[in-house]
Amino acid sequence: MPLPAFARHADEGVIAGVCAGIARALGVDVTLVRLIFALLALAGGAGFVLYAALWAYSDSKSPILIGLLVIVAGAFLLHAFGLSNRSVAGVALIAGGLTLTWRRGGSFQAHAAYSWAGIAIAAAGAVLLLAGGRPSATLLAPGAVAGALLLIAGPWLWRLAVERDAERSARIRSEERSEVASRVHDSVLQTLALIQRHAQEPRRVAAIARRQERELRGWLYGDRPLGDDAASLAAALSDAAADVEELQGVRIELASAGDCPVGEAAGALVLAVREAMTNAAKHAGVEEIDVYLEVTDEEVAVFVRDRGTGFVRADVPAGRSGLTESIERRLERAGGRATVTSAPGRGTEVELRLPREAT
Amino acid sequence: MKPKPRVVLVDDHGLFLAGVKTELGDAVDVVGEAGTVADAVPLIKEQDPDVVLLDVHLPDGSGDAIINAVVPERPGVRFLALSVSDAAEDVIAVIRAGARGYVTKTISGPELASAIGRVASGDAVFSPRLAGFVLDAFRAGERVGGDAELDELTPREREVLQLIARGYMYKEIAARLHLSVKTVESHVSSVLRKLQLSTRHELTRWATEHRLV
Repeated sequence: MPLPAFARHADEGVIAGVCAGIARALGVDVTLVRLIFALLALAGGAGFVLYAALWAYSDSKSPILIGLLVIVAGAFLLHAFGLSNRSVAGVALIAGGLTLTWRRGGSFQAHAAYSWAGIAIAAAGAVLLLAGGRPSATLLAPGAVAGALLLIAGPWLWRLAVERDAERSARIRSEERSEVASRVHDSVLQTLALIQRHAQEPRRVAAIARRQERELRGWLYGDRPLGDDAASLAAALSDAAADVEELQGVRIELASAGDCPVGEAAGALVLAVREAMTNAAKHAGVEEIDVYLEVTDEEVAVFVRDRGTGFVRADVPAGRSGLTESIERRLERAGGRATVTSAPGRGTEVELRLPREAT
Repeated sequence: MKPKPRVVLVDDHGLFLAGVKTELGDAVDVVGEAGTVADAVPLIKEQDPDVVLLDVHLPDGSGDAIINAVVPERPGVRFLALSVSDAAEDVIAVIRAGARGYVTKTISGPELASAIGRVASGDAVFSPRLAGFVLDAFRAGERVGGDAELDELTPREREVLQLIARGYMYKEIAARLHLSVKTVESHVSSVLRKLQLSTRHELTRWATEHRLV
């Protein structure tokens, strides 16, 4: 059962019913409370002042009056315990200064006069206390002063820190926004301008649009920053495909299952695939090329396929080294191998394989 | 000659919708259009079309919500998903809900018409990209391991999917593997069924984790 809140009980009391009220609020016998007050009254009269303070509190008198009474009661008490007048005055001044600082607005406010007045009073108290010289005072002084400073400055410093945090996160947000804006400007807006300029060349427009689409997609759905170097094999192939599309005016349909990081050998693979796509775009006479990347635990395989004219290997002039040098030899040096399947009228498929440990 | 398939178009981009209608021309019979899930569901139930061409993303939900709402009452309606998104998770989600295929919005008019025709006659339409996604999804499921052998692809199904990913058409796959086109189609349908029936949450988890395009 919750105890009743503190209220004076004049009808039960001897003087004003303060002791009876405390006894009820704490659930103890009223005689005990009266005994404590009597003892406090003997301690330099602190009991009388505290009684008056609680009386004032129960009648909702001015907080300043209550605060002053409590401070005076404390001073009497300290004096009774043997502190010098000087030390007691110091402690009382610190307490009074704090009361003034804290009473309004809940904490120190740099622009308010009473805050500074409170600090000045507390500082004067600290000086008195530190200059006191008596052993009891030197023991008490540093702690009291440190505590006072913390109480005054703590909430203020804390609020400053909170404000700075809010400022910083707002700044980060606005930096992010301008980062996105500049990315979009560098890519999408430039592309739109390019498309307007080439409006008469549908193939070029389509290639530009597709390149932009890839790039934006990579940024939105992948973890790759727009315009940065590709971090994975699938992304690198997508870049290469976009380049070939733009340069040769073909459509490249890229599918993939699995992915892996790009090392030196995989880099060579990307170059070989790029060459195979370029060959298909140049010689097959088709508008669309299919490219499929498959990464398993054992190997990386890329297939570049067109449904174009096809060719017979023996008919290719020896000097045209694109196939031999740029695809087959390059991949062999990287530890893989390339196979070309083609027949006139049946299209061409280049198969490029690289063992996984080589990548 | 087979009757033209009756088609409902569901897409919230008016410009795109108009473009598709023009490109499809006489190849199909467009019996209705809707731009939201709320409009599409009653429309499809009322029209009972052969094929619904379905955008994966709609303002008030995703394509799979429509499929789930329509199929119990109109089991005959077939869905072909269409998207610019290409995010693997979206595609796999709509296929798992019951779509018979997936094509990207960059597809040409005649190709789209032929895809609609194939879906109308009960076939699955796998673009190379979808085949790649599906292979990846099943492999992720197998790597985790599990008891349901049922959910795994047979070597033949895997072969067929790989060839689709490489850009081969059913006819070309049939010739290469010495199969009939019908057999190739049935392999693809069986992959689709496994994808839809699989309870392996690896597949779903793969789809949500895998934000690669």
